[in-house]
Amino acid sequence: MSVAAPPRAPAQTGTRRHEDTRLLCGRGEYLGDVQRPDLKHIAILRSPLAHARIRDVDVSGAMTVPGVIGVFTGAELAADTGEFSHHLPMIPTLRQITWSVLATDKARFVGEPVAAVVADSRYIAEDALELIEVDYEELPAVSDAKAGLEAEAPLLYEDWGDNVFLYMPGAHGDVEAAFADADGELRERFTHHRVSGLPMEGHGALGEFDPSTGRLEMHVSTQVPHTLRTVISDITGLSEAKIRVVAPDMGGGFGNKAHFMREEALVAVLAMRVRHPVVWQQDRTENLLAGLHSREQVHEVEVAYRNDGRVLGLRANFVVDVGSPELYILGCAPAIVTTGVVPNCYDLQDYAFELRCVATNKCPMGGYRGYGQPQGIFLMERVLDLVGERLDIDPVTMRRRNMIPDEPRPYVTATGAVLDTGSFDEQLSELLEAADYDAACGARDEARAEGRLVGVGIAQMVEPTAPNIHALAGRFGGYEMAMLTVQPDGRVNVAVGTKSQGQGHETIYAKVAADVLGISPDDVAVSDGDTAALPYGIGTWGSRSAVMGGGAVIKAARQVRDKMAAIAAGLLEAPADQIEASDGFFRLGEAAIPFGQIAAAAYLHTFLLPPGMDPGLSVVVGYDPGNTSPFPDERGKLNVAATYSTAAAAAVVEVDPATGVVTVSDLTIVHDCGTVIDRVLLDGQIHGAVAQAVGQTFFEEIHYDENGQPQTSTLLDYMIPAFGDVVRPRIVHRETPSELIGGFRGAGEGAIIVTPAALAAAVHDALAPLGVPITQANLSPSRLRELLRAHSTA
Amino acid sequence: MTSVRFSLNGESAEVDVEPRELLLDTLRDRLAAKGAHAGCEQGACGACTVLVDGSGVRSCLMFTVQASGTEVRTIEGVGSPGALHPIQQALSQHHGLQCGFCTPGMVLTALELFETDPHPSRDRIEEWMSGNLCRCTGYVNIVSALESLAGTGEAPS
Repeated sequence: MSVAAPPRAPAQTGTRRHEDTRLLCGRGEYLGDVQRPDLKHIAILRSPLAHARIRDVDVSGAMTVPGVIGVFTGAELAADTGEFSHHLPMIPTLRQITWSVLATDKARFVGEPVAAVVADSRYIAEDALELIEVDYEELPAVSDAKAGLEAEAPLLYEDWGDNVFLYMPGAHGDVEAAFADADGELRERFTHHRVSGLPMEGHGALGEFDPSTGRLEMHVSTQVPHTLRTVISDITGLSEAKIRVVAPDMGGGFGNKAHFMREEALVAVLAMRVRHPVVWQQDRTENLLAGLHSREQVHEVEVAYRNDGRVLGLRANFVVDVGSPELYILGCAPAIVTTGVVPNCYDLQDYAFELRCVATNKCPMGGYRGYGQPQGIFLMERVLDLVGERLDIDPVTMRRRNMIPDEPRPYVTATGAVLDTGSFDEQLSELLEAADYDAACGARDEARAEGRLVGVGIAQMVEPTAPNIHALAGRFGGYEMAMLTVQPDGRVNVAVGTKSQGQGHETIYAKVAADVLGISPDDVAVSDGDTAALPYGIGTWGSRSAVMGGGAVIKAARQVRDKMAAIAAGLLEAPADQIEASDGFFRLGEAAIPFGQIAAAAYLHTFLLPPGMDPGLSVVVGYDPGNTSPFPDERGKLNVAATYSTAAAAAVVEVDPATGVVTVSDLTIVHDCGTVIDRVLLDGQIHGAVAQAVGQTFFEEIHYDENGQPQTSTLLDYMIPAFGDVVRPRIVHRETPSELIGGFRGAGEGAIIVTPAALAAAVHDALAPLGVPITQANLSPSRLRELLRAHSTA
Repeated sequence: MTSVRFSLNGESAEVDVEPRELLLDTLRDRLAAKGAHAGCEQGACGACTVLVDGSGVRSCLMFTVQASGTEVRTIEGVGSPGALHPIQQALSQHHGLQCGFCTPGMVLTALELFETDPHPSRDRIEEWMSGNLCRCTGYVNIVSALESLAGTGEAPS
């Protein structure tokens, strides 16, 4: 061969991640950094009332402000704009509603978009908002689910006759028989408060429409660019062939940005109306009022148990405050997930539930890291401790007596999850050893003898990862797509349908592609978030990216590698299956051809290709493991996820009874997400999830008054953990590979799912001398003090 | 409109602004210094932190006219892709950033710390940095990165 290998470019600057240099230098391109000539700014008038009929919106004053391009009302835009609705024929008990980009007849929560101004600057647009006059007829508000279920409750939708957005029963096994066989019954009520995922960058979108071509281009801070394109097509009526959605660098997402915000569709509609590029950036107050909330649920449970600690059956009544239900994807979805994960890693087949998702005059309930699972896991873990306490059986023994045995695998749970996980028994042993559990209990006993409130708690979880969204959205699916191109110089481009929000996907996908191709990850450039680069994608949520995106990237890399091996085989006159790719060469024994020479042959010297082979080294693949359920079966069971990850946590805390402040002195996480791609980045995911678990347990609460007025609209009212609140978890990784491509199971959420239950268990244990049981997820100083005061006066 | 002059990363900047315009918007929209981010516009998160005459300032709470005659330093004046500042290098090596939205503010706040105290303790680091919020990292690796610098004193301005 006379083809020279291309010179290697200098390696990257020694940063840990491919993303780091631009982000560290302030050169990331977040939504607010996207510039367009003549860009106009959108400000949104939001309802100041929790529940009101909109009689009239007078925009005449706002129109007179110099620099205002247009002022738009809901009624005006509804005339030629598509509507949102849910595509859920498989949930017949869901109330059918439609809604538009702005409120039309009624406002149903404080912060609901009512009108929009487009102006030369956000300053001018906000000036004009103040001149819009809305004639509201204030209506009595529903401020929580309990109030919403009362017979005389005000109705969000008069035609429903009540406020129940979704009623969903489920029955698995024979719960009646389980209760008949029981030695005892436990009845308990668990509560979860409302929090916000709170990405540091809020939602936002920039739209530009070219009337000469009919093309709409959107930049959106979204975890789901392709599926958002489908929704924008629904709303605008434009073909998906005419819409491009680009998700630029993102300042976090955490599930908050996996929904389709009506404001994003509003930007598309306004871009088409005003024929200027337009941008809307959610400010922090908008984010806290209308940027979606999560977690708020009430569970009433009845548990049948045997005197040896075995939980035989469980009935649960879930009442969930979903706020205003005008959200796509369905705000009930996390609550449905809650019902599905309750059996957790325990052998509990007799389980029945009723779920009521109640519409209230609050911000729509949406997704947040963990997505309904922290509540379901909290339920089961609390039940085990409370039953154990009655029977004087310690928490470890309670778990060992109830956990799913090591054999057989797969184990099918009551709700249909097909578990292929590692041993729960071994995982628990590893936790106890890593946490030095016996010593921690000994130290607790000594502290208790001194009168200090120290507690130790454990919790475990199994988590559906890489779920099939079809079961909850009625479309999309449980697959992913990737495109991989080897360029003529041997460098590689990968485009993938997931969307990193900080997880470091450019780094990890480069690594998995490079492993297959036998080259350096520094020679692989990964991009995501651009619908023009790839036919479709399902996005990043549900701990799916490694499993689905990684699987798609590996599949694509294998196809290209095999073609390159065939080219090498032709040049070396050997069978392709004897060619290996490693260290930048295609090798046959001692003979080796540089990777770059094969790449050049495929484009620049195609006479070197085997007869009949097409030029080029580029593939687009779809990857669907095919093991998930698009719908529940006739018994209501479904295998929601392609893989299952597991984790266990042990926490040691001390409660100051005078202040209600809880200090977490030790936290251990054992984590099994299958094959680990990058240990440091994975640990970073666990650190962040732990901080959010600590935040939601001890700091954060979205609070509304009884009239539906929000009391937490700034970061001074809504407290998230800061530097001084750092909890450094001790992390142990188990690696039980899945059977899917790459062996990945999915990561990112496990620690936020399991940690709140461990913290609650530890606080419960700390308060044991006072006999104050913990049945609430909110353990902030004020809530804990309330609990202690109520106990001392009882 | 008011004409305002100040030094931006060592170079002279002159802008005509309304008195109500915030320094953050001037930096981002008029002077192409986009590394300062609007995280809350309430002075609570620190993502918009810049140094004004060497001291950390929430540029979302400062009017541009107040910056008249000052020396403003932003992330664009700290390191560059070919020559990262030691604080930036340490954050990368310790994986002290994920989404990166808060990172420029973190770097500038840390820069001020190390200029006044090259060897801060962990407690001092956590106290000094406590006005800068991060939602991704749990702060664990940011503290580790800054501790590594404190130990070696490798954080010149």
